[in-house]
Amino acid sequence: MSHSYRDDAPADFSLFRRKILVGGGLLLGGFATISNVPSAAAEALPADFANQFMEVSSLLIPHKLDRDVGLRLAAALKMKDPAFTAHVTNLIDIAEWKQATIVEDFFSDVADGPVKDTALLIISAWYIGVIVDAPDADVFAYELALMYQPTIDVMTIPSYAVSGPNGWTSQAPPLGDMPKF
Amino acid sequence: MTNQDNADVIVVGTGIVGCLVAEQMLDAGLSVLMLEAGPRVDRWRIVENFRNLPPTLRLHFDAPYPPKPWAPHMESYSDATAAEYLQLEGPNARAYRQGYVRYAGGATWHWAGICWRLTPQDMRLKSLFGVARDWDFDYSTLEPYYTRAEYAIGVCGPSDPALQWPPIRSKPYPMGPLPFGPGEQRFTDAAARLGLKNVPAAQARNSRIAYDGRPPCCGNNNCIPVCPIAAKYDAATALPKIEAKGGQILANAVAYRVETGQKNAIEAVHYFDPDKLSHRVTGKVFVLACNGIETPKLLLLSKNDRNPNGVANSSDQVGRNMMDQPKLVAELTTAEPVWTGVGPVQGSSVMQTSQGDFRGRHGGALFRFNNMARSTFGAVAAVRKGLVGKALDAEIRRLSACTAELTIEHELLPDPNNRLTLSNKKDWLGINKPNIYYDVGDYVRRSATEYSVPLVRKLAVELGATDIQVSTEFTNSDHIMGGTIMGANSASSVVDLDCRAHDHPNLFLPGGGAMTTGGCGNSTLTMAALALKAADAIAAQIKRS
Repeated sequence: MSHSYRDDAPADFSLFRRKILVGGGLLLGGFATISNVPSAAAEALPADFANQFMEVSSLLIPHKLDRDVGLRLAAALKMKDPAFTAHVTNLIDIAEWKQATIVEDFFSDVADGPVKDTALLIISAWYIGVIVDAPDADVFAYELALMYQPTIDVMTIPSYAVSGPNGWTSQAPPLGDMPKF
Repeated sequence: MTNQDNADVIVVGTGIVGCLVAEQMLDAGLSVLMLEAGPRVDRWRIVENFRNLPPTLRLHFDAPYPPKPWAPHMESYSDATAAEYLQLEGPNARAYRQGYVRYAGGATWHWAGICWRLTPQDMRLKSLFGVARDWDFDYSTLEPYYTRAEYAIGVCGPSDPALQWPPIRSKPYPMGPLPFGPGEQRFTDAAARLGLKNVPAAQARNSRIAYDGRPPCCGNNNCIPVCPIAAKYDAATALPKIEAKGGQILANAVAYRVETGQKNAIEAVHYFDPDKLSHRVTGKVFVLACNGIETPKLLLLSKNDRNPNGVANSSDQVGRNMMDQPKLVAELTTAEPVWTGVGPVQGSSVMQTSQGDFRGRHGGALFRFNNMARSTFGAVAAVRKGLVGKALDAEIRRLSACTAELTIEHELLPDPNNRLTLSNKKDWLGINKPNIYYDVGDYVRRSATEYSVPLVRKLAVELGATDIQVSTEFTNSDHIMGGTIMGANSASSVVDLDCRAHDHPNLFLPGGGAMTTGGCGNSTLTMAALALKAADAIAAQIKRS
């Protein structure tokens, strides 16, 4: 990291709150760059599987998806669950069989069980930016987490300004006007 | 410049009170050395810490500020972590989980920036309502210091007296009010239909213009836990200014003993560094501004033969009368969208409900629409439902827009039984942890049952709520007051009307601890005003000597 920062504490107690563990590689002090730089594990992901993961993600989520975030998620999910690759293949097979283009075309054909759980986990991770929402969880996306997009026409992504000085009003669009994202 | 062990004025604590005093001293030509228990950290690091927290942890405003081993503070994200530092007991122990962080810049790092003043009535509860204590000076004495504090930290607010709280001012606010987002406007309209006025808050946030070298607010909706652009005043922004004026700031310096000498004057403060080595600093005047918990703790830790109950404690009032504004929260679901997350996280309150003849029987209360973006809440809840596709997006939007939170903050009376003592449990440095007994008392409980909860239900219905869940347990507001209470009588108070310890001519304890009563609004502006009043007294005292 080229950015210098100030923490007057001795180095043994520096402020880095957590070590970022992705795909077996430690990214120390990666807070400022986590959303932008694929980890070594993500880069090492086989291209075929990376493409499969982005394909299944696109089938499950009808929105633009950031490939860097996807590669990190894929690497972490693959490491977490040995059956993950098989589940992804299974989901793609069901979607192809249904000639699906969006999730509504095939999701009801996914039986309750591990494969469906994997599908929901993929969706959840893209939306909330973590695989599990627990205190020590690794964060894969903040501003790119999809959870902010359904309200992006009104609500601020906390810490990101949406306007200039006093540039907001009390007006809001109708609830039914879903933003495109 | 000072050397590292001596200055005219030693200030312990680098929060808003310590920094305001330090700047005044430097402007008066005095040398200043500040001690800070915690680290000094760049703003961007805190922002990145926040963004890299898992979603639910982002709701805990102390989470981006991990404590150092030598400067522990309460970590709120679980009952287990919360119990590690603050030792709490009593009927409302949960309501004293005070969320200050021990970092250079102090708790203003994560405050909402709201700057209510006390009213004249808030300072005369004994005379007017027969409860608690009166302040030993009146509002007109405090008013010039309120104004100076507002100009020192940059407070915006309405120019229309009908929208000011209280509308008793000697000068306009330095900046005009911030606009409301949709939710605050809808709450304002709902309150108006009930005959209540939701007024724009005075807030230490730059409105439309830059002020004192800080940019205008751009609505980042992240005042809690950190303003990413320093549009909100926090004392971290004062630290470079203090250094530019010649002040010296020692971070990671944990004061653990105040030393007294001849005539019971303060001779020195002793501190530990992170290597657990002890150091001694001397000065002419000593200012303890470590916040309402750490200051009484330090006084009690400093007991000696001459001061067997602790420094400044001949009255036995150090650590007693611990106050806050006990909070209840109403969670609403509405049929129509309310919308949060536009503008600052807080920007207004119903304040008139803090006043009334009922104060002989129960406390007043303020009502606030919380404007923190609900998108995280909505998304986490919707995802857990197992929805997909368009249904998931629609549910996130509905749960984010059609839910809201109203906060009630209650007036609490000073009660000597609400007491901070030293725990037998020790921290990493071997320093006793603070132990606090806390009971909000019948004055607050009656306020909730007879007054505030029925009223918040009416406000919620008027806002269009179809479901209302009011919390049943009081929680903390983080407005720590009372532990070094002020008064003219040295037998019943710790500090005099300039926040000077009755027992020690060169020891000053400005801040929330000195507040005689607290009202319903947060304490920060009153703390700042008392800091400036104390600063005038310190400068005059050193000049005389």
